[in-house]
Amino acid sequence: MKPEVILHSFGYLTEAAGVTIAVSLAGIVIGFAVGALVCAARVSHRLSLKRIGTLYVSVFRGVPLLVQLLFIYYFLAEFGLDVPAIVAAVSGLALSSAAYQAEILRGALNAVPRGQSEAAVALGFAGVDVWRRILMPQALRISIPPLINEFILLLKASSLVSVVGIAELTRVSMNIASLTYRPLEAYVGGGLFYLAINLVLAGFGAIAERRLAIGGVR
Amino acid sequence: MNADLLWRYLPSLLSGFAVTVFCWSVGGALGLVLGFAIALARRVPLPPLQWFLRAFVEIFRGTPFLVQLFLLYAGGPYVGLRLSATAAGVLGLALYSSAYFAEIFRAGFGAVPVGQIEAATSVGMAPFDVLKRVALPAALIAAVPPIVNMLIILSKETVVLSIITVPELMYQVQTMAAETFTAFDAIFAMAVFYWLLVECVSRLGARVEKRVTAFLSPSGARG
Amino acid sequence: MIELAGVGKSFGEHEVLRGVDLSVGRSEVVCLIGPSGSGKSTLLRCVNFLESYDMGEVRIDGRLIGYEDLPSGARKPMSARRLREMRREIGMVFQHFNLWPHMTAIGNVAEPLRRVRGLTAGQAADRATAMLSKVGLAAKAHAYPAQLSGGQQQRVAIARALAMQPQLMLFDEPTSALDPELVGEVLEVMRSLAAEGMTMLIVTHEMGFAAHVADRIAFIDGGRIIDEGSPRHVFHHSQEPRVRQFLETYHDRNSF
Repeated sequence: MKPEVILHSFGYLTEAAGVTIAVSLAGIVIGFAVGALVCAARVSHRLSLKRIGTLYVSVFRGVPLLVQLLFIYYFLAEFGLDVPAIVAAVSGLALSSAAYQAEILRGALNAVPRGQSEAAVALGFAGVDVWRRILMPQALRISIPPLINEFILLLKASSLVSVVGIAELTRVSMNIASLTYRPLEAYVGGGLFYLAINLVLAGFGAIAERRLAIGGVR
Repeated sequence: MNADLLWRYLPSLLSGFAVTVFCWSVGGALGLVLGFAIALARRVPLPPLQWFLRAFVEIFRGTPFLVQLFLLYAGGPYVGLRLSATAAGVLGLALYSSAYFAEIFRAGFGAVPVGQIEAATSVGMAPFDVLKRVALPAALIAAVPPIVNMLIILSKETVVLSIITVPELMYQVQTMAAETFTAFDAIFAMAVFYWLLVECVSRLGARVEKRVTAFLSPSGARG
Repeated sequence: MIELAGVGKSFGEHEVLRGVDLSVGRSEVVCLIGPSGSGKSTLLRCVNFLESYDMGEVRIDGRLIGYEDLPSGARKPMSARRLREMRREIGMVFQHFNLWPHMTAIGNVAEPLRRVRGLTAGQAADRATAMLSKVGLAAKAHAYPAQLSGGQQQRVAIARALAMQPQLMLFDEPTSALDPELVGEVLEVMRSLAAEGMTMLIVTHEMGFAAHVADRIAFIDGGRIIDEGSPRHVFHHSQEPRVRQFLETYHDRNSF
């Protein structure tokens, strides 16, 4: 085992880590927007919307991410759109994450005790205000720890976008492996970077969970 | 894509599916055994052991599965481990899942209500019996839903094996797609196939869960 | 003030209310007592239509709630807007307080004033402060519910309902979720409200309170009002066997 390999490629790995983080960030943010819509559909009273929401979650959680990524890649190619791989990568991550985030949000909404919206209704609140002032603030707070967890999962899943050629941590590790003929050091190096990122995120998660407990919201 | 093509490739697709099932079941089974062993070992108050086990779990849960596979398959020979692609795949699934199962079992042990342990010790049960007859069963029952969930996740991870050329289903489909220029149709069909598969397995899993935990609800116990 | 005539309600096959008649006059305090599952909470929640009733009529100050009479004689569900208008005039206090945990005490009281009564932030804050003083919690205005005891939380909930200046107040087992030593402070607030002439309909297990504060007591069991009258009548002179049985177990447990 030659640790110097890792040290020499430190710069490349750091750059690649940045790409990994950027791609994952884009994925989770877009995924949140889509996920919120899917969640709204899932809890809607209109049956057709409910079915669409349920189908979305079922499909995007059921089909493996790798298949989804390749599908988007070939789907876009089939229709003649020449999109850069990064678009396929981010949309793949986003659409997949949206399904998980929709369920997180739905769980959070259910976790808000019913009595609170009841009290609002009894006081004469309009539906919109019950949502805006009572349900949403609390649902968002409740969903932050699981959303941070989802971000950690997405970061690991982002290693799959290496197959469409994005120069993130896994791909760069592969490159280093083939250039230096030292796959052990290359992948250990990549792995260490992933671990480091995870450690920092897990730390954020712990802080967030502690701070959100103050103010009375469990 | 026509039926003719599909017929021609049916043997390789079936063999691919068989490899998928093989890797998933053997990998999952090994992972469960290893994960359980780790969870038990973590109850031994030996600091160096604790440190090692914690590091193991953190590493395999904190890094992507693909990186672990590359490490085993490409990096393995450099530490004297020459594995075939399939062997690397199965070992990879086993190690990856064992870390998650270890945490699931650990949480299961923690979920046993202290009161039940107290009831057993206050009636004079020996510590080993308390473990065997009270703590363990309760922990295992609590662990069933997350275990089922993890097994479903594992079934989806098998497609990653195709990247290190394990001849499972995804690999065969991609080979077929490349040879016949039907990439889009092939991937679409595979997506539908996996979706249906995961749906079925999920529903089966839910039923198994219900059966195992039935006695816990007022209406569920029978006989 | 409140008129219930022939009110009936079923949850699927299960008939919870079977033709209830009850009236509560202006400034009257009426307590509903009875065993669990008797339908008393459901009845209370029909008054502000948190539960819909299937049969009969519930009228607040003469006005039907939850439905609108059609000229043809049939009736249709009341519009959401009109229902909200009616609910503004009815105050409700819940067993589990239902304070909003992400707002302070004064925030909880001011919120409905701003969203429903349309007051400005300043006006709402002033009235909220006055209400919190009235229930003895002015010092805790900026505390969050999690930092308050059960009794304090319930008093904030009462302040929140009172701040809306409702015409009548509904109480759904207001002290059942409280530790025994905290019950007194909430009953004290309710007692002074009654003395000020508020119309109150209270579902409660606190027989002592009912005996001393209520103008009338109604005993409900199996979805029907079995007996009603002055506290003296219900507690000491009721002829109904179920009432006597219910009170017997109460007396046994409370007179050692």
